[in-house]
Amino acid sequence: MNWASVLGRLRMRARPPGLLSPRQVHWLGLLLLAVQLPQAVHLPIWIAVFGVTLVALRLLLLRRDRQRPLAAPARIPSWSLALFAVAIAFAIRQSYGIFLSRDPSVAFLFVLAGIKFLEARTLRDGTLLACLASFLMITPFFYNQSVLAAVAALPAVLLLGAALEALSREPAQPALALRTALVRVAVTIVQGLPLAALLFFLFPRLAGPLWGLPSDHMGRSGLSDSMRPGAIAELSLSAEVAFRVDFDGPVPPPALRYWRGPVLTRFNGETWGTGPMRLDGRPVTEGGPIARYAVLLEASDRPWLFALDLAATLPLPASAEGRTGVPNVARLSRDQQLVAGAPVTQPVRYIEASVLRDHYPSYPGDGETNAVAAPGNPKAAAFAGALRARYASDRELVGALLDWFRSEPFHYTLSPPYLERDPVDGFLFDTQRGFCEHFASAFAVILRDAGIPARIVTGYQGGEINPNGGYLIVRQSDAHAWTEVLLDGQWQRFDPTATVAPSRIERGLAAALPAGEPVPLLARLDGSWLKSMQLAWDAFNHDWRRNVVGFNYERQRDLWRRLHLDRFAPWQIAAGVAAIAFVWASVILGWLALKRRRQERALVLWDDVCRRLAHAGLPRLPYEGPLAYARRAAQRWPQYAIAFAAIGESFAVLRYGALAGRDRERTALLATLERAIEVLPLPAALRSVPAG
Amino acid sequence: MALALADPRALYARVRQRAFRSAPADRDPVVLRHSRIYILPSRRGLMLIATLTLMLLTSLNYALSLGLTITFLLAGLISAALLHTFRNLAGIEVKPLAAGDTFVGGELSFSVALIGGSAARASVTVAASGAAITADVPAGAAQTVSLSRRAEKRGRVPLGRITLSSDYPLGLWRGWAYVHFPLAGIAYPGPEPSAPPLPRGGHGTDIHAPGRSEDNEFAGLREYQRGDPLQRVAWKAVARGAGWYTKAFDGVGAGGPVHLAWSALPAHLDVEARLARLTAWVLAAERTARPFSLSLPGASLPVGQGREQRRAALTMLALYPERA
Repeated sequence: MNWASVLGRLRMRARPPGLLSPRQVHWLGLLLLAVQLPQAVHLPIWIAVFGVTLVALRLLLLRRDRQRPLAAPARIPSWSLALFAVAIAFAIRQSYGIFLSRDPSVAFLFVLAGIKFLEARTLRDGTLLACLASFLMITPFFYNQSVLAAVAALPAVLLLGAALEALSREPAQPALALRTALVRVAVTIVQGLPLAALLFFLFPRLAGPLWGLPSDHMGRSGLSDSMRPGAIAELSLSAEVAFRVDFDGPVPPPALRYWRGPVLTRFNGETWGTGPMRLDGRPVTEGGPIARYAVLLEASDRPWLFALDLAATLPLPASAEGRTGVPNVARLSRDQQLVAGAPVTQPVRYIEASVLRDHYPSYPGDGETNAVAAPGNPKAAAFAGALRARYASDRELVGALLDWFRSEPFHYTLSPPYLERDPVDGFLFDTQRGFCEHFASAFAVILRDAGIPARIVTGYQGGEINPNGGYLIVRQSDAHAWTEVLLDGQWQRFDPTATVAPSRIERGLAAALPAGEPVPLLARLDGSWLKSMQLAWDAFNHDWRRNVVGFNYERQRDLWRRLHLDRFAPWQIAAGVAAIAFVWASVILGWLALKRRRQERALVLWDDVCRRLAHAGLPRLPYEGPLAYARRAAQRWPQYAIAFAAIGESFAVLRYGALAGRDRERTALLATLERAIEVLPLPAALRSVPAG
Repeated sequence: MALALADPRALYARVRQRAFRSAPADRDPVVLRHSRIYILPSRRGLMLIATLTLMLLTSLNYALSLGLTITFLLAGLISAALLHTFRNLAGIEVKPLAAGDTFVGGELSFSVALIGGSAARASVTVAASGAAITADVPAGAAQTVSLSRRAEKRGRVPLGRITLSSDYPLGLWRGWAYVHFPLAGIAYPGPEPSAPPLPRGGHGTDIHAPGRSEDNEFAGLREYQRGDPLQRVAWKAVARGAGWYTKAFDGVGAGGPVHLAWSALPAHLDVEARLARLTAWVLAAERTARPFSLSLPGASLPVGQGREQRRAALTMLALYPERA
């Protein structure tokens, strides 16, 4: 065989591609819709509507032009669609401000699928669309990996199989009914499940990303490294889960549940921000009850991890439980804040222990950096000066300030009036309406003006205990800000919000806010059945996140270690997988063969009956079908007429009936056939029966 | 084996035969087993596998557990489809049924039976020598497929290697198997257009007067005998169930045998022209129901009449060596 002939053969193979039939277009359209709908909720509305409309448009055109199914796309010249695609790309660039990044790329693919579908004419276009649809199946998981998202992806998997089936069908062949097609694909998927599960557990995960752009993660809600008035109030409107905590032992009471986040030391008169971070903090290991727990932190795109005040250890990855020598997932700053090496872009689970106490030793230099009086807010400064003049002791001054907060008619609200200039002054002496950040900020500002070092700690406070599973859910609505004051070389926690609205700490946000304030729905539904259902659902989601979504590099290594798979070389593992795949293939093929054998079994039984009757003197005539033969046998031996009728009819249906896919019926018929044959006596006995 | 090892060319030929079945060495029937069935991804399968690779990399990079789940679910689906493709072909029994005959330039038809056994087989494409046909094979029945091939040259026309293929169920895998039967049809030489009339009796001469041979008159019915031309069968009588009769005509058989001889042809004709003329004469003799004999250099056919005689004569002409 020379090269020319090989080339010639290849050229012969490359026939002009076939055209899509209307039925194939239908299946592809359904597939694309099933892929687009779960994605649409994560896209800007115009892109979502646009992409889905393109697909729907082609399906509608198909309906209208049933006689000339290919006329519709033929009317659209392909260069105009290319131009169209470029225009869309430009619009997406405008909308996202960037094009070569994850989110705009997803949006572009989403619309591209619609455009391609609108002009799809050939089978090759169909293949391309099927591939595009496959890829779009996983893009919604960039944004949401909940149980619902997983369930929403399943119809697309089924429809992909059905569309591929339709694409491979020759136009002349009769099409399968919708139900048959879907059932067949479902059966095939189920057959592939063992292999899929094996791959899921054994395919090596990556410890870190291969590529990724910083702009990939935009606009996740959560605490930030600065705090302006109103920032936490905004966050409080979100019912999104920040993290979940499994306690090793009883859950501490609400008043002790201060989850420490960013510590803010710089104030410019309006906004608090973080200072330089020094990651050489020493854990506080004694001085109070110890709580041990595991935190499953949702992706926040921020580097900080949360721990109860105060972190007693450095956090370990949850998969490292009971082992030593595992690197910590974060370090401790001098502000006692846990900081990971990189932003948390995927859910992480870590083990932590805390000493539940509200004061800890300061570092040298803390006093100077935290006593800087900020510009502006002259009334607050004057008030601080008055307090300073009256109380020489710092501790007494702080106590007096708290008393003052308690006695003034302060109002705890999510929607305080906006204050443009000198917001602390305005809040303290004018509106007296504010949220936790207003209280904490004002408290710290007055103390700083009085020369006492003070700073803001942001984080979460409280959380809700889920009775299903006994873990704690901390939501964004639990975001909180409090203050720390340096007294006698110790940083001491003070929470002015607790002074003004004690129920915020004891019973949560919804209890502390007056009715009518816009808190998340879930925070209000106390004790109702809806609330308990929601909690059950969250428990399920917690397990899901821990075991399915959270099955990352760490968890996989941990599983391998527990199964002692880490002792094997990679080639040994690969050989093992190959062996399992072989067993799997044998089982599936054996199962298919078994199905076939059951069809053959009827034939074996029938041959047996024919042989026995021939022995008894009544051979089957060459042209005689089962029904006619059974009738003749029934005439010869009328006492077995019922058995013969059953044999003839069940065999005829088994052999010639349309039983494809109706296994239960087949089994029943086989049983009937076998029972009826058992009724017949031996050929010798039959022969001795006188002819009737 | 030792022999094969000793001679690498023989080994190569054996491997080649086993892998590609290039020689027509299959005895019927052939049951397709794993040793004959090849499976590779189709173009669509390759594209989907490439897409899955992309999905895999994306899911790994962004640590999307659910993305991996979907990717592996589709990988499982593709793997299971591979088994279905194999199962759809495995166990099919292929039987050569018949090869047709035709004149050069006509279509030769070959028929092959596919027996699926107890399970139905879907979308099995049977292809040979450029012809292809796709058929479903119902359970417990044989499906006959006819492949036709244009006869370009007189002589034996082998069907060639048959390729049975299927991309059932999802079109992601193409499974195929080669079967090569020694099945050949016969292409007769094309009859010479406007050939001269049949030679007269005797050696190439007719003892009857010209013109009488074509317009015989109906003389009655006689018992059918094997070998009577079909166009002379009294079909109306057969249809009535009265039995088989042959219409007898005046002069039929009475015309005496005509002897068609290669040697009696004009000397200026070449081999193919001679064959063409003799073919035309055989057909003419058969049309007028005259017995004839045929003699070629190295072969001869005794006097006879009817379908068998016609076939024997045409076959002799078809197989006449090109260079005598």
